[in-house]
Amino acid sequence: MNDLINDLYQEIILDHGREPRNFGECEPHNKSADGHNPLCGDNLKLTFLLNDQNIIEDIKFTGEGCAISLASASLMTEKLKGKKIEVAEEIFKDFTNLVSGSDEDLKVLNEEDSLYALKGVGGFPMRVKCATMAWHAFNQALKD
Amino acid sequence: MEDSKTLNLNVRKDFPILSKKILEKKDLIYFDTAASAQKPNTVINETNDFYKNHYSNVSRGVHTLSVESTFRYEDARKKVQKFLNARSENEIIFTKSATEGINLVAQTFYEKFMQKGDEVILSLIEHHSNLIPWFFLRDKYGVVLKFANIQPSGEIDIDHFNSLFTNKTKIVSLTHLSNVFGTELNEKAISICKDKNVPILLDGCQSAAHLKIDVQKLGCDFFVFSGHKTYGPAGIGVLYGTENLLSEMPPYQGGGGMIGDVSLEGASYAELPAKYEAGTPPLVEAHGLGIAIDYMNNIGLDNIIEHENEITKYAFNKLNEIDFIEIHGGDNKRNSIISFNIKDVHSHEVSSFLDVEGIAIRAGHHCCQPLMKHLGINSTARLSFGVYNSLEEVDKFVIALHKCKEFFNK
Repeated sequence: MNDLINDLYQEIILDHGREPRNFGECEPHNKSADGHNPLCGDNLKLTFLLNDQNIIEDIKFTGEGCAISLASASLMTEKLKGKKIEVAEEIFKDFTNLVSGSDEDLKVLNEEDSLYALKGVGGFPMRVKCATMAWHAFNQALKD
Repeated sequence: MEDSKTLNLNVRKDFPILSKKILEKKDLIYFDTAASAQKPNTVINETNDFYKNHYSNVSRGVHTLSVESTFRYEDARKKVQKFLNARSENEIIFTKSATEGINLVAQTFYEKFMQKGDEVILSLIEHHSNLIPWFFLRDKYGVVLKFANIQPSGEIDIDHFNSLFTNKTKIVSLTHLSNVFGTELNEKAISICKDKNVPILLDGCQSAAHLKIDVQKLGCDFFVFSGHKTYGPAGIGVLYGTENLLSEMPPYQGGGGMIGDVSLEGASYAELPAKYEAGTPPLVEAHGLGIAIDYMNNIGLDNIIEHENEITKYAFNKLNEIDFIEIHGGDNKRNSIISFNIKDVHSHEVSSFLDVEGIAIRAGHHCCQPLMKHLGINSTARLSFGVYNSLEEVDKFVIALHKCKEFFNK
């Protein structure tokens, strides 16, 4: 099998794509945003609860999409749950660099992170948007 | 593989891109002609030659290069006129795209013939480019839009379509060949418009290179298509309109080239077709489109259609035999387009997987989100064929599909 495909679809991606974690709506929540990829029609709704210490207490998503977009959203919720917002923002920046094949040094993510499995998306430039859809929704929710 | 006359067209050598290796080792199998067709050498070389040896602006100067450019530009218009069998060159307007053609008609037809509360009939299978220009009329001017249902076969429900007409129906706009199903518009839809004396626009983006077009026989009032889907350059589109309607409708954009006489108090407008061609047109692209039409004519449109029908039928039968494949659009005859899904695998995955096998297909909503919603799906994978495809490529594609299914169900 082709290396590019194996890099793109690592077992953890296929697993989270088939069975996304934290799938649903956070109740209660105080932040939410919709993610949408107008090029392909994939979409998601992200909800999370930010407590008074600026910690993401709970975070969930619903939506439909390809394995990459579902797995990315699923892994994102796992990674961000319990994180302080400042840390989450650093992870967002790192992740965006990771999947867009940027040379910039990663500050908080490393090869041990499950999110690192999405690095293979860099070999498929047209799929980067699939991997970042949930993350842009997260970023948007912080701004609103 | 079965013997086939499709191999005898022998046109692959005309398309330099087909010798490209994908990811440095896979032969390119291009099954995305419905998105955009590849270009034959003649189009590439002739557009090159235009810039090298004949280029200037058109219809403006009197010097030699201006004459040479103008001749090529207007000669392309003649070729398009013959290609569509329009009555006159005045009925052929060059635009930058088919999309621009539809926007032009929506805006100027409204201005001349419509008012608030008037109605436009469209259908559920329209491409966004045949929806949004009409949404603009709804949002800006209070025009009412009605949408014909489709049958499970992917064809427009003619009875429902017929029932949508009222005395406020001013124009109908439908796709001539669905970019999702590959099904041709039922001719009855056009005859109903004729009976009711309502003008009809046909979106011919998919049909122009895959059906024989005769606008007079079809009886449509407007017809649009794009150069890039007919083996010509991107950046050029064609709007055909009857001289009656085009004469009565006002100009679309103002600028150089579309005027009769200008003073500071006002202007008169040029005759057709210049009236609708403000600004320097995509002249080299128009010439390229003319060369693309020559190319198709040299092979013979009948031969191209027969070739594509054979491949489409072959691919349909192959896909139909596979239990994990769901083909969209029933048993209708398909013209060079087949939409499908692998059960439980998103079309993105299918497309990325095939890409590394060198196979280019389209995945997504195909700019038909209302249709996807109606079908209750998020996206489809789409195969589409052109003059350069072969049965052998279909066989390779089918093998890759099995590998794909295996990979994602491991």
